Amino acid sequence: MLGKLLKKEWTLCMHPAAWIMLGLAVLILIPNYPYTVSFFYMTLGLFFICMSARENHDVTFTLTLPVEKRAVVTARICFAVELELLSLLLAGGMIIVHRALISTANGAGMEANVALLGEGFLLYGVFHLIFFPAHFKDVSRVGTPFVLASAALFALITADVVLSYALPFWRDVLDTPDPANLGAKLVFLLICIVFYALATLLALRRSQHHFLQLDIR
Amino acid sequence: MNTILEVRDLVKRYPGFTLEHVSFSLEGGRITGFIGRNGAGKTTTLHSLLSFLAPDGGEIRFWGKDIREDELAIKQRIGFVSAGMNFYNKQKLMKITAITRSFYERWDEDVYRRYLSLFGLDEEKTPEKLSNGMKIKYMLALALSHGADLLILDEPTSGLDPVSREELLEIFLRLCDEGKTILFSTHITSDLDKTADNILYLAGGKLQAASSLKDFISSYRLVEYGREDPLASSPLLIGARRTKEGCSALIRAEDAEKLPLPARPVNLEEIMVHLEKEA
Repeated sequence: MLGKLLKKEWTLCMHPAAWIMLGLAVLILIPNYPYTVSFFYMTLGLFFICMSARENHDVTFTLTLPVEKRAVVTARICFAVELELLSLLLAGGMIIVHRALISTANGAGMEANVALLGEGFLLYGVFHLIFFPAHFKDVSRVGTPFVLASAALFALITADVVLSYALPFWRDVLDTPDPANLGAKLVFLLICIVFYALATLLALRRSQHHFLQLDIR
Repeated sequence: MNTILEVRDLVKRYPGFTLEHVSFSLEGGRITGFIGRNGAGKTTTLHSLLSFLAPDGGEIRFWGKDIREDELAIKQRIGFVSAGMNFYNKQKLMKITAITRSFYERWDEDVYRRYLSLFGLDEEKTPEKLSNGMKIKYMLALALSHGADLLILDEPTSGLDPVSREELLEIFLRLCDEGKTILFSTHITSDLDKTADNILYLAGGKLQAASSLKDFISSYRLVEYGREDPLASSPLLIGARRTKEGCSALIRAEDAEKLPLPARPVNLEEIMVHLEKEA
């Protein structure tokens, strides 16, 4: 059932702007740029998807199909996860290209390296925790949950830039070109992946709880 | 009795409106008309059946199974159409159909093609290029193509031209002959006069009547009288209202002999209009 719902998400809910946002992984090729912003753009793509789903009465359509109410939430969050993993895959590719083409250090936050992918997982996890439970409390509201989630994301992006100057561990271990300190960066990546998985599961449970109480009219 | 749907004590509370302990059941192979004025609670009731809403109380059982416990299997056997829905305005119908088809075990492509042809639908079009009537026809084609045993239709004939409406009513009657069950809300009561076996009448969130259409109609008569007629104040008159010629009111069939006024049979619309006036 989840497979069918995901096919529905890709076929009927995928917004053209989300493809563009995915493509913005290319921002990682810009010298001296806060690369974590490319992950924010992916969440903007998710905002467009949820907004377009609202305008197209996607939830009502889905509820007329033989699916359980809670599966509507599962499908939307799994769809987000698929897009985010795709964006991280693209980011991984861009990091490799970046290392081959650009040798100067990034003065605007994390280097294009393995730890940057960890930050991507971290940002997406935080986005899930804030955006989806608020959105599924009332699916007609997309803007406010996105503004709240964006505020948190920009606070984290700013913190990353500040930490890359102020915190020795961040500056000297994480914010370095690969393969320097690869072990520490991989541990950081792993911690961020675990956080992402837990945050997504928690967001899923809270969103389902809200959505089951919600009246779709 | 072959009970398809049983609703018991359904309650849904909103600020300013409550659907109060609505109970009814649907028998298999019958068409049941669901009437009531705007805001009476018809859509709230229908949406509660399909889990769009979270009811505050009551029980909904399809084929003896609780919708909360067996939602998936139950929805395989239900087709739902609502006149007010606009899905994916910029997507081609064929894309929407392909997704819809994938969810149903009993999807019949031949039946779908037949309805596309009957309704004159072009799959290359997007919903935004369809009139409201054509959108309803498309949703009906989807609902009728997956072998649904129960069709729940929220004002399916609104927006349709008279010829299409008649075609649709014929389809409903044929489906009913095939053993399908139809629950059908509408404001066009003449459609129910032509097709319905049973009637559910909702007013102010309360179910006022749940009976066979024949019994419901035969339980009332209509009387017409002048505005100055001394009988105008009779407590037997129900929902007296002005007409061009004078006044009209309902009267219970058993009271028809008690007033010295000619009483004639009524239709569904006349009953509804007068009962709403009385309320």
